[in-house]
Amino acid sequence: MTAETANGSESTEAVAQSGLAWQIKRHLPPGYAGLMLAIFFLVPFGIMVAISFSENIPSGLWIYSFELTHYARFFSPLFTTLLWVTIEFAFVAAIVSVAITFPFTYFLSRYRRRMQVISLVFVLCVLSLSEVIVAYSWSVMLSKPAGVSNLFVLLGFMEKTTSWSRGYWSVLIALTWFNLPLAVLIQYPNCSRLDREITEAAMTLGASPVRTFFTVVVPILQPTILTAFIILFVFTMGAFVTPTWLGRPEQWMYAVLIGDEALGRGNQPFASALAMFYLVVTTVLVLITVRLGRKTDRNLGA
Amino acid sequence: MTRLARNLFYTTVLVVLSSPLFIVAGVSVNEKKFMIFPPRGFSFRWFAEVFEKTKWSEPLTNSLIIAFSSSVIALTIALPIAYFLWRYRVNYAKALYAMGLMPFALPPVITALGMLFFWVELGHTGQIENIILGHSVFLVTLPMVMISLGLESIDREVIEAARTMGADDRRTFFTIILPLVRPYMVAGFAFVFVLSMNEFIISYFLGQYAVVTLPVKIFAQLRSGYSPVIASVAVMFMLLAIAVFGLIARFGDLPKLLGAWSPRE
Repeated sequence: MTAETANGSESTEAVAQSGLAWQIKRHLPPGYAGLMLAIFFLVPFGIMVAISFSENIPSGLWIYSFELTHYARFFSPLFTTLLWVTIEFAFVAAIVSVAITFPFTYFLSRYRRRMQVISLVFVLCVLSLSEVIVAYSWSVMLSKPAGVSNLFVLLGFMEKTTSWSRGYWSVLIALTWFNLPLAVLIQYPNCSRLDREITEAAMTLGASPVRTFFTVVVPILQPTILTAFIILFVFTMGAFVTPTWLGRPEQWMYAVLIGDEALGRGNQPFASALAMFYLVVTTVLVLITVRLGRKTDRNLGA
Repeated sequence: MTRLARNLFYTTVLVVLSSPLFIVAGVSVNEKKFMIFPPRGFSFRWFAEVFEKTKWSEPLTNSLIIAFSSSVIALTIALPIAYFLWRYRVNYAKALYAMGLMPFALPPVITALGMLFFWVELGHTGQIENIILGHSVFLVTLPMVMISLGLESIDREVIEAARTMGADDRRTFFTIILPLVRPYMVAGFAFVFVLSMNEFIISYFLGQYAVVTLPVKIFAQLRSGYSPVIASVAVMFMLLAIAVFGLIARFGDLPKLLGAWSPRE
């Protein structure tokens, strides 16, 4: 609130400098920014909502009208099954990646600054890699002539090289891996802000490092863990290239379906309706998670 | 013992994170046209092909143009929003800030689909400027948040001092605020640049095969058959990312940019 009191004196000053021309000039830059966002983000979104209720004209066009036929199509078994597949992938990939990255990020934030910077540069590099490149890398990793199975054979864990390409596990592994760098960056700020004195106090009172981690660090950072889970869940729900390239049609997640309807079949109203439905489902799931998180918070407090 | 276990776990995660990258790097220097690891022979010919054959150099040029232009436009949108929110705290600045956060929260397919319809309505499809504007709006969140972080770290007393000495708003902005937030703007620019280079879905939806970026080209090539050039392009992307983020870390405060509490304050 200190900022607001500081602004109190500034606004009286602003009045002194006022004058219509000056006012307009002052609001020009944010006005331009708002206009850009409105035209190129809000308007397109609005058009999509309108199209989801419109009449389909095969070959990728539409006539604006109001019908719910596209929304009614979700309740065919194909789309409900794939919705479950999408949710399952997103849920498992988010949980596994948070379970791996929370201790990782916590340890990262406890290392010396130089080590932190090097690790962060590395994590950022992995994060910035295109989904296309990640999917490609994993198809190489899981392939027979160049993949990890060669390494396992070399180390004597396996008899023969095999290929795991295309299928449930390839998609799940690649999605989880794809989440790891983002998960680290989400949890890093709060991990690094955790006061060292708290853990030191627990240790002085005789708690082992492992015990301190589970009884002190995890409960304190529980909201951070939940936030990371939610963001990763939403992020994975939108996976497009990974399921297309590493999965079979049974693993086509919702984003792939939307892309297939819009670009492959040219049914734009149905693609928009799918997008709307997917947005609603994601929002509802996020709200449920947030509510459950609050409940456990209250239980811990009591 | 616990320290050993901790370091072991940490190293394992790092190895898992880097393993696909190492394998792709190995594949990219294969001498033969087959995908094989460990590599047989050693050659940089697949790297040279990226620049020599138009089917690769054209997408590369497109990606560079798009990444550069959209980083500039994203900054011009992000700076006024962040500055206005920090300087005046008016409600509409908060609304603008919230609007700037939205593109990042929405699944990219939905953003891409809406933008596609928008350009179809205007009868202006498959143009490079569509992708440029798409990326600027889609990625605006990062520079906006970073510039806000930078502004928050400015001591308000410095501004007061400038005021007392008779500097008006404009002068304070250009002589004090802008130099102080410049590192954050550079970082924001770099993030948009790298992410735009790697972005796939928006480029794929808006390009309509008329404008092809590097990730879209890789995707198309993966479908039509394996080419070792894909691996070399992937390696070039990794090197670009290492160079950009390495420079940011060298000349800026990376932990702070990523939201860490800085003990020096």
